[in-house]
Amino acid sequence: MAVSDTKRSPTRRRQPSNAKSILGLTGPAYLWLIVTILLPLAAMFYFSFLSDVPLPGRDWQVTLSNYAAFFQEDFYRTLMLRSLRLGFEVALWCFLIGFPCAYVLAKTIKGRWREALFLMVIIPFWSNALIRVFSWTMVLRGNGILESLLDWLIPGFGSLRLMFTYEAVVIGLVHSYLPYMILTCYISLSTIDDDLIDAARSMGASRLTVLRRIILPLSMPGIVAGAVLIFVPVIGSFMEPRILGGREGTFLGTVIEDQFTSVFNWPLGAALSFILLACVLIIFAIFQPILRRAS
Amino acid sequence: MKARPTNMLARIYLGLVLAFLYLPILVMAAMSFNSSQFYMLPIDWTFDWYVKLAHNTRLLESTRNSLLVALATTVIASVLGTAASIAFFRYDFRFKKVLQAALFPPIAIPWLITGTAMLLFFFWSGIGRGLHAMILGHVALALPYVIIVVSARIKGFDPDLEAAARSLGANPWQVIRHVTLPYLAPGFIAGALFAFAVSFDQFVISYFLSVPGVSTLPVEIYTAIKKGFTPEINAISTLVIAFSITLLVIVSRFYRFGGDR
Amino acid sequence: MKGYGFIRSIALVAALSTATGLAQADTIRVLNWQGYGTDEDWSLEQFEKATGNTVAHEYFNSEQEMLTKLRTNPGTYDVVLVNSAYTQQAAREGLIQPLDLADFPHSDGLQPRLARNSNLLHDGKLFGVAWLWGVTSFAINTGAFDAKPNSIMELWNPAHAGRLGWRDDAVESCQFAALATGQDINDPSDYDLIRERLHALKPQIRTFWNSENEWNQYMASGEFDLATYWSGSAARSKNNFGLPIEFIVPREGAIAWLDGLSLPTDAPHPEAAKQFIDWMIDPEFYVQWDTEVGAPISANEKAVAQLPDGAFNKTLIEELKTVNTLPFMGPMSDATREKMLEVWQETKTFYQE
Repeated sequence: MAVSDTKRSPTRRRQPSNAKSILGLTGPAYLWLIVTILLPLAAMFYFSFLSDVPLPGRDWQVTLSNYAAFFQEDFYRTLMLRSLRLGFEVALWCFLIGFPCAYVLAKTIKGRWREALFLMVIIPFWSNALIRVFSWTMVLRGNGILESLLDWLIPGFGSLRLMFTYEAVVIGLVHSYLPYMILTCYISLSTIDDDLIDAARSMGASRLTVLRRIILPLSMPGIVAGAVLIFVPVIGSFMEPRILGGREGTFLGTVIEDQFTSVFNWPLGAALSFILLACVLIIFAIFQPILRRAS
Repeated sequence: MKARPTNMLARIYLGLVLAFLYLPILVMAAMSFNSSQFYMLPIDWTFDWYVKLAHNTRLLESTRNSLLVALATTVIASVLGTAASIAFFRYDFRFKKVLQAALFPPIAIPWLITGTAMLLFFFWSGIGRGLHAMILGHVALALPYVIIVVSARIKGFDPDLEAAARSLGANPWQVIRHVTLPYLAPGFIAGALFAFAVSFDQFVISYFLSVPGVSTLPVEIYTAIKKGFTPEINAISTLVIAFSITLLVIVSRFYRFGGDR
Repeated sequence: MKGYGFIRSIALVAALSTATGLAQADTIRVLNWQGYGTDEDWSLEQFEKATGNTVAHEYFNSEQEMLTKLRTNPGTYDVVLVNSAYTQQAAREGLIQPLDLADFPHSDGLQPRLARNSNLLHDGKLFGVAWLWGVTSFAINTGAFDAKPNSIMELWNPAHAGRLGWRDDAVESCQFAALATGQDINDPSDYDLIRERLHALKPQIRTFWNSENEWNQYMASGEFDLATYWSGSAARSKNNFGLPIEFIVPREGAIAWLDGLSLPTDAPHPEAAKQFIDWMIDPEFYVQWDTEVGAPISANEKAVAQLPDGAFNKTLIEELKTVNTLPFMGPMSDATREKMLEVWQETKTFYQE
């Protein structure tokens, strides 16, 4: 995911810095990002310290109560931990399912097949996430396809009761984000020289040792990159829990959405968003060294 | 390579993962041909929901909006992104690293946060919501992808070509137009297709920026799921998935996902 | 050069989106629950024939969402359905405008106690046209019961653990608990009791439902034995969708409500909006709606009188006369509403553990 690395082509002839051209070329893009990302975040930060939405006809003053609410009310912390747990679990499942899959793609399948299979793995990644979550309601619902199938295989199987559970949310999210993990692991794995593995094997290392001592450490940047790419959007998810979670579908993301679309407590929503953002930044900071290697 | 037992196992595993990825989508598609409004089994095959869809002005209009927003996003993001990529390639300047790092927030911050921040800022500042706001937001999300894809292509560019053009008397804009851009075309097209896909599939940002009567297809689908859906939604979803897959196959002709091997 | 192109593209985009807005100028926009009378195709066709106006819809899933949609989209909607418990709040915030019943010819049939109900008044002015009333209680899947239950405590009956459908709404949830503990539904005194009742629902609830269509789908796929519901919706599910359900009015009472139709402040087509509201309180529309689809009870006496004998709502009116209390949802103080929101948010978090 790296942007062009300037250090890699030292032979390239440099021109003297041309401020006008640089500004002309990068200015529009960055002006756009300032208006659509930077200013909105700044405005949201400001809102998070207000007592009400600053619109005509409403009383508002500067306050810390929105942040205080998070630390005073137990349930916000419970929900935060729940969202974090969801993020970790989804990332873990994606790793457990996706890593072997990436390994098979990178190391045991060759040629045209690899390209075709690879494309098949990432096609869902480009199809609408909402529709994929919706499709799980078709599979998991009571008297749905999955239950009918199991009932046909094992007569008298009864009901799975998967729909509207925490598990359903995990399944839907793993399905949504699995391709990320496969993609990043695949890129890491394909840089490992096959000769290295063969050499280790010929020197008597068992398959497990090779996996533990060579493959996993060398593919760590890809695994971490994948995990972070999954973790970050999952802890902010609201659409998937709403559709699949039912009674068990309350997370910090859904509470934030409520503040904006229903309760009209934008300042509280803004404060909760910034607390969530702080968590994201901490995660990035912890994994920054590995992420840098990954790119 | 001979098929060893482990190889066989590997293939079966891959097959299972693919089944996990595709089965729900196939079930969803199959249900669009089921006549039962409540998705009762067994499936009673019918095309009714597609016929109904053809008369659903709400869904059709939101599809039109989605395409409009995606096209505008594609044009703006690929032009702005390519320009920035060229600057990154051609010039060294002090804040380059900062500018490159600034591309990541749109990707790295959860959409929920970017979306609500845009809602709040656009509403409060008078920019307003609606299609223009969605385009503003989508371009911001698509820009990093365009810059990454175009930059990847630009890396292989030989600056001597530009030097040669300059020595023949071309001014900087002519150099870009006649030398740099033609070389970049494949990267540009891939970037543009990425931008289109990012925008066309975007739900969260559009959801917070939509106004009554003006929404995009994913927003309309979500509203339908929340407020009561029929197999009509399966029908439109099936069409959208088919469209996305076609688009991706086209993208893959310009951008090799599996690396150059 | 680049800079101009950038500005031009923004201008172009802005022009484009304004154009899309103008294209729908002769359509009135209604904000309502989905499937709640205003969006019946057959009626809208007749309305278009009679007045030339077409009707577009926008739906909400809770009163909170309705208010926020009004707040964030001024000058967009022409007609909005406001539960009379929220009319004063909406009027106080300046979201809806005062009305004169003289503008609505069919209002002569409205029951006086509903037409000038104190909940519809703010500063002595009328802010909503009484349209429908009914009760919130629960409905059962007849296949799961041998006999019709007659107590609200059936919701807490362990025999239906994991088989209860519940609406994810703070006020409604707290009001059910208030009713079950014999408290004032609009201003409960003991929130600990309410919290205790709501927490006790944890093993019972299968899932939350958010819309009538969702309710029907869950009932049809056998997810629920019983589920909280509105009387008008139960009539529809039974008549129109043929679901095997029975609406229950427990002996402890039920939560009654009155829904009014209002005009948002700055409604872009006020005249057409008034015509539409009058169309909605017309007995002719109501009788056809109730007999062919299913509806709550009309606020128009003439309309109710025309219902055939044995109609769902005629039976319901008789049944409601037998219950202990029939408290109406009324306006609440901000403190009460916030307390209910907090209790429900806390309860939902408890459900997760």
